[in-house]
Amino acid sequence: MSHSVEIDTKDAWGGGQSPFKLSYGKIFMWFFLVSDALTFGGLLISYGFIRHKYADIWPKAEHVFTHFPFIEQHIPLAYVGLMTFILIMSSVTMVLAVEAGHRMDRRGVTIWMFWTIMGGAAFVGSQAWEWYHFITGTPGGALRQVWDMGSGAYVKQIVHGANMTVNEYGVPQFANYFFFITGFHGTHVFSGVVINFIIFLNVLKGTYARRGHYEMVEKVGLYWHFVDLVWVFVFTFFYLL
Amino acid sequence: MSEFHDNYPQYEVMSNHGEDEGKKARSVLWKVFWVMLAITIFELVMGFLAPSKGWSGTLWLKVLFISLTIAKAAAIVLWFMHLGHEVKFFKYAILVPYMVFMFYTIFIVLTEGTYSGTAGHFTKLDPIFNAQQEALKHAHQHDGADHGAAPAAEAEHH
Repeated sequence: MSHSVEIDTKDAWGGGQSPFKLSYGKIFMWFFLVSDALTFGGLLISYGFIRHKYADIWPKAEHVFTHFPFIEQHIPLAYVGLMTFILIMSSVTMVLAVEAGHRMDRRGVTIWMFWTIMGGAAFVGSQAWEWYHFITGTPGGALRQVWDMGSGAYVKQIVHGANMTVNEYGVPQFANYFFFITGFHGTHVFSGVVINFIIFLNVLKGTYARRGHYEMVEKVGLYWHFVDLVWVFVFTFFYLL
Repeated sequence: MSEFHDNYPQYEVMSNHGEDEGKKARSVLWKVFWVMLAITIFELVMGFLAPSKGWSGTLWLKVLFISLTIAKAAAIVLWFMHLGHEVKFFKYAILVPYMVFMFYTIFIVLTEGTYSGTAGHFTKLDPIFNAQQEALKHAHQHDGADHGAAPAAEAEHH
């Protein structure tokens, strides 16, 4: 299979070959990911700025996200730990699918891609569950200053949960950034699951077996790892710090 | 590509490998996974212990968390995304522009962002946040313990 072409540095940029020794598709997937990473980087830096500004009244994540399914007790970090584990695991299954593709092992690609899609779907579901609890809030609620449209002034009101204007747990900015950044990441995970599923159907149909390479799996794999990469940062800046 | 360059190298096919190479690649990937899992569990344990041990918000904990995050990010990019095995110039083409933009943005936020003053400076001028902060202080006197913002406001209600 391997008829590697040695590139002479003198005519590497002369055309007819890639100086990066990579295909067009893979190079541009990387360039897309750099631009996407700049967006996430900008969002996280702005989050850090606002958090620093309201440092004295910023809510602590361990007081906000304490729920775990089927368990009544409050256990901070456990649920997000599980979500992180699911996403890292699905990243591993993705890289194993890519590796199986390099060996033209159609059955291996099918199995590992299946588990990647399952992991991604489980992660999106977990995030929906977490959003639900953040939006619903606690039964007792908390007393907050809320803008009243009628009188055009701030009034004190019992607030349950969080949305874009009020937040039971503290400053509304915390809710704004939480919804925006995890929402933007969740959209990436969701579209990743959809793209993975389309490629999975092609694997089942044998499109790539006929083509002689599984580079499409490798390209969606790059995107999927990027989603995991972003989560590593979101996890640290929202939940740990 | 073939219709434009009849002898254009088939990079897609060239990245294929045999059984032996595959076995080696898999063992490396699993090792990377176990290291990443260990780091994540360590982070969770530290995050869980932090409030009771009084580590929350300390500089060393922040530095530790951010360094571990960057270590995990490097593992994903270099091994899972295979950037560690690409041509040297491609690594630079991806990483250098990104680093330049990120460090510049962080630099500009840290230097030009001083209009907001020190942490909490704006909140002291803002009547709404001022009132919320008063509520927090008030609640601390009642409870004598840190229960976060939610129960604090409740205490004020009584």
